Amino acid sequence: MTPTILIFARRLGTSCIVLLGVSMLIFAIARVIPGDPARIALGPSATADQVEKLRAELRLDEPITTQYGHFLSELAQGDLGISLYTNRPVVVDIAQFLPATLELIFVAGAMMIAIGLPLGIASARYRGTWIDNSIRMVALLGVSAPSFVWAVILMLLFAYFLPLFPIAGRISDTFAIQPVTNFLLLDTLIAGNLAAFGNAAWHIILPAFALALSGIGQTARLTRANMVETYDKPFIEMARSYGVPDRRIARRYAFKPSLIPALTIIGLDFAAMLGNAFLVEAVFAWPGLSRYGVSVILRKDLDAIVGTVLIISATFLIMNLIVDVLVTFINPRIRYARGRS
Amino acid sequence: MRTLLKLLSAASLVAALGAIPQIVQAGGVLRLDEVAVGELDPAKATDYADSILMFNVYDTLVIPQQGAPGHDPHLAASWSGEGTSFTFTLRDDVTFQSGNPLTADDVVFSLDRMQTIGQGLSYLFVSVQGAEAVDAHTVTFTLSEPYAPFVSSLVRLPIVDKQLVMANLGEGEGEMGDWGQAFLSQNGAGTGAYRVVSHNPQEETVMEKSTSYFLPIADAAPDTVRLRYGLEAATVRTLIAQGEHDISSQWVPPEVLGALAGTGAQLLTEGGVTGFYMKLNTTKPPLDDVNCRLALAKAFDYEGGVKIIAVTDEVSQGTLSTGAIPAAMLGANPREKAQTRDLDAARQHLADCKYSPDEFVLELTWIGEVPLEERFALLMQANFAEIGINSDIRRIPWALFAEQVSNSETTPNVSQVYVTAVTGDTDTLLYGMYHSSAAGTWQSPEHLNDPEVDRLLDAGRTGATPEDRAAAYSALNDRLMAISPTIYAHDSQSVFAASNRVKVPALSDPAMAFGLDGFGFTFRLMEMTE
Repeated sequence: MTPTILIFARRLGTSCIVLLGVSMLIFAIARVIPGDPARIALGPSATADQVEKLRAELRLDEPITTQYGHFLSELAQGDLGISLYTNRPVVVDIAQFLPATLELIFVAGAMMIAIGLPLGIASARYRGTWIDNSIRMVALLGVSAPSFVWAVILMLLFAYFLPLFPIAGRISDTFAIQPVTNFLLLDTLIAGNLAAFGNAAWHIILPAFALALSGIGQTARLTRANMVETYDKPFIEMARSYGVPDRRIARRYAFKPSLIPALTIIGLDFAAMLGNAFLVEAVFAWPGLSRYGVSVILRKDLDAIVGTVLIISATFLIMNLIVDVLVTFINPRIRYARGRS
Repeated sequence: MRTLLKLLSAASLVAALGAIPQIVQAGGVLRLDEVAVGELDPAKATDYADSILMFNVYDTLVIPQQGAPGHDPHLAASWSGEGTSFTFTLRDDVTFQSGNPLTADDVVFSLDRMQTIGQGLSYLFVSVQGAEAVDAHTVTFTLSEPYAPFVSSLVRLPIVDKQLVMANLGEGEGEMGDWGQAFLSQNGAGTGAYRVVSHNPQEETVMEKSTSYFLPIADAAPDTVRLRYGLEAATVRTLIAQGEHDISSQWVPPEVLGALAGTGAQLLTEGGVTGFYMKLNTTKPPLDDVNCRLALAKAFDYEGGVKIIAVTDEVSQGTLSTGAIPAAMLGANPREKAQTRDLDAARQHLADCKYSPDEFVLELTWIGEVPLEERFALLMQANFAEIGINSDIRRIPWALFAEQVSNSETTPNVSQVYVTAVTGDTDTLLYGMYHSSAAGTWQSPEHLNDPEVDRLLDAGRTGATPEDRAAAYSALNDRLMAISPTIYAHDSQSVFAASNRVKVPALSDPAMAFGLDGFGFTFRLMEMTE
């Protein structure tokens, strides 16, 4: 077995244990939040009899360990229960809402890399100049304001005062796209409808940019800091003394070692966006999992809370796993060191 | 990196091309929003969004009269009966959206289904022993005891297509399985003027005009309706200002409604059956003393409260209350008898109270999910301080509130609640609030136990004629004002901001209004002007 596969297998095993722990924790926490889920689900007009009946249906009158046992056995069959909020299987809800959030995050992540990394490189390359100072200021702005503030500002600027972008939703009402993957950008391409693809892309730009701004700032700052440090290393000095052009030094010798810490942070940011997406989704009426997650928590929708948290945790772990593999791939020293241990 | 930039540029270009269709305004499409979720199954409908869906996708045997109290036959051609038996003759020209004809069996099935599922507003039918199909177009309801509001309750019994539901039963106990719950949570099965095209309970329900409706629908009525869920106030404001949305929900803050009105949006209103109440726990000191309660009621600044929720100089989210019953309902006091603040009377009542103000600190709560209530908590705190009563303000989540009020010991001194008469009848407003058998719910944190109130509530529920009932509720109103278990802050009025593309007579002309929350959103009675 190669070191990479060994590392991957080990991390996968650890991730499964973490997921089991998360399921226990969230299962217990969801049940100690104040409020009777049956009462909340049935609404203010429900009678005591109706509430009692639903409590029995939800097995809330059984010990928590028995409830957890039922949950695990149903989970093994791919059943996460029924959402009291939407009255649909939680799996159906997640299958519908998760792709919308993932799509948003992937586009935001792509922006983070496509804008953050070049900004960081340029800032380090032109250290101390007006370019560096401008980029640092922009990066600081991005980091210092939360995503939802950017969401409202961007909406006001580019949808209200200067109506260049749409305000809400994933696609205009004029397009009817048959869902295949629920990733609208993909589904429009599968349908061969380029106008719909353009419309969906046009809808995602503002929310994704609002979500990405903080990450762009962080990526730029981190890349700059790492590259500045790398520029001071003797091997860069040696390359310069050999007359290697600056652009080649930046791209070939300074960037790669600087990428590893940035990549780790980008991976974590990517996963953290799952949670941060809530307010951006709320502002842009984006029908995603984060908004669903907050709604089900407020309504104490037990099965949906557990299901959503598990999916978000799993996504977080998968992102970490991917980052680990990528870092190992980029830096052979890590691969061999971990392989030996 | 260069390739990535190229890809991004290409995507931006395609995106710009895709922008073109959005600029064109949707013609005949009505776009409105409500809080999530939209419950499509009529047996589970409770919230405002659910009511909008129910009143458009389904029909009921009777509907409220427009601009007047009482009910008109709707799916029924006529009805007769009183006491414990009511017989309805159905129209013979009604078909469901599926094409199936409406029969008495569908009515019986709809009642059975609602009673068996036991959710939503099924409690309105607990006194109904059953329904029987006498023939294809005649159905008789039998009640276990006289229940005067029965006919008005029928506005909450939507008739579902039995054949269609039976063909789509899901898994469950017994031969009826899930009674079609899974199917009806995603699909419509009614006779309504609008059919469901798509439904996502958290995102949007799309409906289109039915071609087989039994009543004429004006050409100007919206062809398509997009009911969106969970839009933020800032988003709604921007959408309406940009002409991309037609009617806001009522939950938009008054400032945003006012700002939209300032930019040319029209304000629609619906009211008359909802009250905003400050509930006083009558079992705990100091509010177990009627004089302390009366002191608070007299110290409260009613006019100041209405100003808090004013949208413009002319429109407010509430009007001055005249007592326990909103002014448009059976048994209410006339509008001239609006409540006023009287600090001298408040001080006198406080002096007569067995508790001295320096012996207690009142606990004022507001529901966390309703930020507007914080302003009322602050208003109360300032008002009560003027007569020497100190108070603490506490924010409480709805879930915790519903749990705490089940026990009089844990119920706060003062809680704020909006209560709506779900059928438009006074019984559905007051019985759940004040009958001693109903104490300890979110509607009844007063934990009131007053035999005279119980007697009058029962008299209102069983009165033989509307006059008898009006007399009972009028006496009840007086009694409640005398013992003051509640501060009747204001009669609530829902305000919606709307674009000028839509005309909604039922929400803009009091002579065309319905005395039932949500019924003003009957789409077939609306007109699109573009």
